Amino acid sequence: MKTRIKEFRARDGLTQEDLAKKVGVRRETIVFLEGGKYNPSLQLAHGVAKALKTTVDELFVFDD
Amino acid sequence: MKRRDTRSMAEIATGIAIAVAVVASLYFYMTGAGGTEPSEALPVAIALILVAFAVYIFWDRAKNMQRGLPAKDERLANMSYRAGHCGFIAAILTAVGAPLLSELLYGHELQGSHITAAVVIVSGFAFAMSYLYLARKGV
Repeated sequence: MKTRIKEFRARDGLTQEDLAKKVGVRRETIVFLEGGKYNPSLQLAHGVAKALKTTVDELFVFDD
Repeated sequence: MKRRDTRSMAEIATGIAIAVAVVASLYFYMTGAGGTEPSEALPVAIALILVAFAVYIFWDRAKNMQRGLPAKDERLANMSYRAGHCGFIAAILTAVGAPLLSELLYGHELQGSHITAAVVIVSGFAFAMSYLYLARKGV
């Protein structure tokens, strides 16, 4: 799974810590999400998408 | 302050109090025993490593709270769950394996208190190692 979190975060001028505060998770979780090393729950994926003003589909790219 | 933060702070305070109590117990045990046998040095060292690990976890949580971030989140909960699973498996294997190994290698049966000590130390160590591994590798 690839994510476009870094791209959207840069667009909004947010640091990893800013995004973590907005979503309500630890900064390390954002690091792992950006690196595609953590599969978030649907609730967390939705929370990140909402914080970055986008959709889950836009944010997470699944390899078929 | 949110209810979640109050709970996390209470957990951190309780954890640190327990860590201090364990260190104090070890100190009184070591000084009261009139010197330690070489065979006791390793379990005591591992117990101190486990205490240091517990303090690290609480320090990490407190650091996050100071920065306005949650002490725990779903990734940390997942990680703790998996590390706990490893610790549990290690506890079962130790409970079964320690008396067997003692019988096979040294030819004498282990006392119940020694088995309990081995289970606590080995499962705690397994938990700590898998927690640190998962923290680096990701869940």
